[in-house]
Order: sequence, then C-alpha cells, then structure tokens
Amino acid sequence: MNVIVGRYINRNSWVHRLDPRMKILSLIILMIGTFMTSTLINMLWILAGVFLLILTSKISLLNFIKSLVPLLFLMTFTFVFQVLFNKQGPIISTLTLNLSFITILLNVVVIIGYQILKRFRIRGFFWFLLTFAFIIYLYTLNLGTPFKIINLNLYRDGLTFGLFLLVRIIILVSASSLLTLTTKPADLNNGLERLMKPLKVLKVPVDEMSMMISIALRFIPTLLDEVNKIMKAQASRGVDFASGNIKKKVVQIVSLLVPMFVISFKRADDLSNAMEARGYFPGMERSKFGILKFRFSDYLTILFSISFLVGIVYFDL
Amino acid sequence: MEIIKVENMSFSYSKEEIFKDFNIVINKGEWITILGHNGSGKSTLTKVMIGLLKKETGIIKINGIELTEENVYDVRKNIGIVFQNPDNQFVGSTVKDDLAFGLENLCLAHDEIEMRIEKYLTKVNMLEYKDKEPHNLSGGEKQRVAIAAVLSMEPEIIILDEATSMLDPKGKEEVIEVIKNLSENNTVITITHNLSEAILSDRVIVLNKGKIVLDGKPLAVFKETEKILSAGLDLLPSMKIANKLAELNYQDEELKGILWELNSKM
Ligand SMILES: Nc1ncnc2c1ncn2[C@@H]1O[C@H](COP(=O)(O)OP(=O)(O)O)[C@@H](O)[C@H]1O
Ligand SMILES: [Mg+2]
Repeated sequence: MNVIVGRYINRNSWVHRLDPRMKILSLIILMIGTFMTSTLINMLWILAGVFLLILTSKISLLNFIKSLVPLLFLMTFTFVFQVLFNKQGPIISTLTLNLSFITILLNVVVIIGYQILKRFRIRGFFWFLLTFAFIIYLYTLNLGTPFKIINLNLYRDGLTFGLFLLVRIIILVSASSLLTLTTKPADLNNGLERLMKPLKVLKVPVDEMSMMISIALRFIPTLLDEVNKIMKAQASRGVDFASGNIKKKVVQIVSLLVPMFVISFKRADDLSNAMEARGYFPGMERSKFGILKFRFSDYLTILFSISFLVGIVYFDL
Repeated sequence: MEIIKVENMSFSYSKEEIFKDFNIVINKGEWITILGHNGSGKSTLTKVMIGLLKKETGIIKINGIELTEENVYDVRKNIGIVFQNPDNQFVGSTVKDDLAFGLENLCLAHDEIEMRIEKYLTKVNMLEYKDKEPHNLSGGEKQRVAIAAVLSMEPEIIILDEATSMLDPKGKEEVIEVIKNLSENNTVITITHNLSEAILSDRVIVLNKGKIVLDGKPLAVFKETEKILSAGLDLLPSMKIANKLAELNYQDEELKGILWELNSKM
C-alpha cells in the first residue's frame, strides 16, 4: 500500500523547487491580501494570478477542483445567502415565480423522480442542486393559472458580494492546496519549524512540536497499514464492516479502535526507547541536517509577494 | 579488558522481580550471545544496562565509568541498540533522515553527517535506498538501516536485541552477514532464543528467570543439553538428531543399513 500523506505530487516545476519557508510566507501574504481586498474585480485579478501559478506548477487542475469539492456546500450556502438576504444596491433583475396547481404537481413529479434516481447512484450535492435549480425553473414558467405570484428581487450588491466571497474561498483553498501539493510534508514541517524558531524565546517548544509532527507523518502509512490488517482480521472473525445500523457501526468502530490503541501504545513505547537509545531527549541541543538555503528565485518570490501586498493596499484603499 | 560490568544489580517491574543480585562482565572486542526464552529478561537486561530502565541496586560500569542519572546520556553514546521491530525504530521520514536523526543528536555538523550517512549506508549495502521512505522497504532492509543508524553513531558496543526475529530467511541472512563483519572491530552483544544464531559468537550466555545458567564457548555450552532444555530453549536440529539416535541405541552396522534404505528411497 502506498498512501500519499499530505497529497504531495512530485513534479519538476519552479514552484516545487521553491524553499518551503518562502512558500509558507507567500501563502500567508496572499491570505492577508485576499482579506484586504474589497472589490470583486481585484479579487478576480488575484484569482487569475493563482491560476497562473497553478498552471506553472505542472499539477493538473483536477487536483485543485477535487480539493474544492468538500467545500461545495459551504460555497453554495454563502452565495445563496448573500443573493437572498443582501438587499443593498439597485435591483438588477426580478424572478417571478408563478404558483399554480400544475407547477406544484410537476414539482412533486420531479421530486419523486429524483428519489427514484437516487437509488441508481445519482445522488450527492451536485444532483441536489441541479434538481433544485430545475424546480425553480419550473415556477418561472407560466403554466396554468397562478393563484399566487412571488417576486424575487436580485440586488446588485447581493450578487457581487456573493461572488466576491465565492472567489475568496476558491483562492484560499487552491492556494493552500498549491502549497501542500508541491511540498513534501517533511519539508513543510521543516520549513514551519524554521519559521517558528523565534517563538522559542517565548518558551514555545518548537523543536519538540516539529519532532512530534514529523513522527506522526512518518507513522501515518504504517498505522493505515495496520488498520487494514486489523479490519481483515476482524472481518475473518465475523465483523461486517460493509453494512449495518448504528449499533453495528459502533461495534465495528470499537473492534477497530481497541486493537489500534493497544498496538499504537506498544509502538510508542518501542519508539521512545529507540529514540532515547540513540541519544535523544526532549529539549536537548541538536544540530540540523536538512539545511534550507534561499536561492535567487526564493528572494524573487518573496519580493513579488510583498509588492503584491503593497499593491493591494495601494489600489484598494 | 572489561567494557561492561554489572555488579549485584537488582531490578523489578512494579511487582514482578526480574533480576536479583545479577552479575555479568563483558570484555572488549567480544562477540557475546545472550540466549533465553521469551520473557527470560534479555531485553530488560539491555534496557537496564543503558539506563532506559532504572536499576534498584547494584553498579553498572561502561568502559570503567559508573552509570549514574547525571551521566546516562554521555555513557549511552558508547552503546547502540538495534531493536526487534524494524518499524518501531525508524524515526526519520526517509532512510537518510533516519540516520541523520541520531547524528543530529550528537550535534554533528552537516558535512560530517553527510559523510557518515554515505559511509555507513555503504557498509550495510543500502546506499541506493538513501531517499526511500520506510513503507517502501522490506523488513530486512529496514533492519539494515537500523543497524547503519546505530553504527553511524560509532558506538563501541553494539547490542542487537532479537534483531533478526521478525525477518524472513533472506532478511535474516542479510542482517547476520552484517553482524559478522561488525564483530571483527566492535564489541557485539546479540540477543536471541535461537541456538543456531549463537554458533558464530565468541561466548554464549544462557539466561533463565533472570539468572545466568550457562556461560562459555558456544560448543561447550551446547553440550549441556539438559540445562538448555530446562531453560526453555530448543536444541540445534543437528543435536536433536544426534540425541534421538543415541536414544534409539543403534549399533553402527544397523544404522548404516537404515541410512542406506532411506537414501535409496530419496
Ligand atoms: N514494561 C513492562 N512492564 C511490566 N513487565 C514487563 C515489562 N516488559 C517486560 N515485562 C516482563 O518482564 C519479563 C522479562 O521480559 P523481557 O525482558 O522483555 O524478556 P525477553 O526479552 O527475554 O523476552 C517478562 O516476564 C515480561 O512479562
Ligand atoms: Mg525481548
């Protein structure tokens, strides 16, 4: 089993070669930038910039879309909420809904159809949205004699602000994905450790935290392997992982968690012995093998990021 | 010259007493095998020797220096341990990083670390796996990395605690080959419950219930079949055959006849 922890995709691009510290800093600057931007146009410009970065990173656009899918609901909700309730600015369009017996009947038919289609794997949020949009469309048609007419007003600011928030989410998610897709988790951890180094003055245990993260990263594939083994072992003893009601699900999870905990504690014990036997103790002075060096492109990147931020502040105020 | 000396050491886990007034002396350059069944206290002994577990009474001297709570980290630098489970001692995210972990603990400079990684990975024949991640390595390969990681810290004493017990025959062979080479220049302590792994060493100690029951050259120790059996160990296959034949009490001619018969069937 080859689990890719942290979704790193190995390509040979300039984004991959950048120093992880620079990438993290630039991401932070970009995030600040998106929160200082107040107009849709500027937000779209930033999106275009991120898009350009994605293209030059040689990573398929599909990966970024995939990372947006879990947020589809949040994005839709944000947008719809703004459109429905933000009533500022001029009205740019009005949706007239005709409530008649025929449309309501058709509506019921559509819902029944949707429920039937759900059985054939046509489900998920996307299909729900499509069905919902179709139902709205039904009501805009002038079928039968309406007994009630509802006017939905679309306000300019509602629409632009909805889009504005939507684009902001897309930028934040794809830029973060760009970081994790182009940087190995170990490098990311290494970069974070360096950036947090100043916090040591405040007695933040930076080295220990980074050691913990790196061990966690190192053991995720091992533990996932183990979950698989335990699942097979428990399945051979009659635990059915594929189906069941809530009560059975609890049994399944317990039958997985208990051995996982026992084994993990044993592992942790072994590992701490092995680490100590090799001279480690928390809080010790250690040298650093993986040195990070800024190169010309790194300086250029950070310079660009900073001038980007300055530009945003300048143009937006 | 003695490199490890344990005098009147006692140790117990919360209730269970494992060692009482235990004594052992290990000489410099020796390859010593500690034999004992599961639970006889072999791992506990090594953990007490390097101060991972705290002894109750007694004195432990490494290289003439007495182990105390203050100097435990310094004294430990003289001893490297390879443990049983290859997965649970792999600290780094790649082979290279795993070796670097121990070397960083020694506060070595980058170039020195780089040099030692090259040197010791070559020694265990793993140099081309330098950038591999642990879940892409076999058990034998991981164990060779663990050995390289311990060696790279250049300890005088190397302890291998059942380092081959979780490996397949091929992995075992690879690791034993590496140990053989090590024993030429280092003090090596191998721990096992398998007699056939003890044959090559200079000295064998059989441990039972926290006591040394046998101590000597491998061949001399193996002759004490009764004590070995009562220590819960299995005899060598060849010794088992020899014993069985002796039990059956064949005359020479008879035995020859039987062997001929078997041979013709094959
Ligand atoms: N962490 C522990 N806590 C309590 N008892 C332990 C612990 N580790 C080992 N023991 C007990 O100590 C005895 C010796 O164990 P160990 O030294 O691991 O034996 P060996 O390595 O020879 O198989 C066993 O009876 C075992 O059950
Ligand atoms: Mg043991």
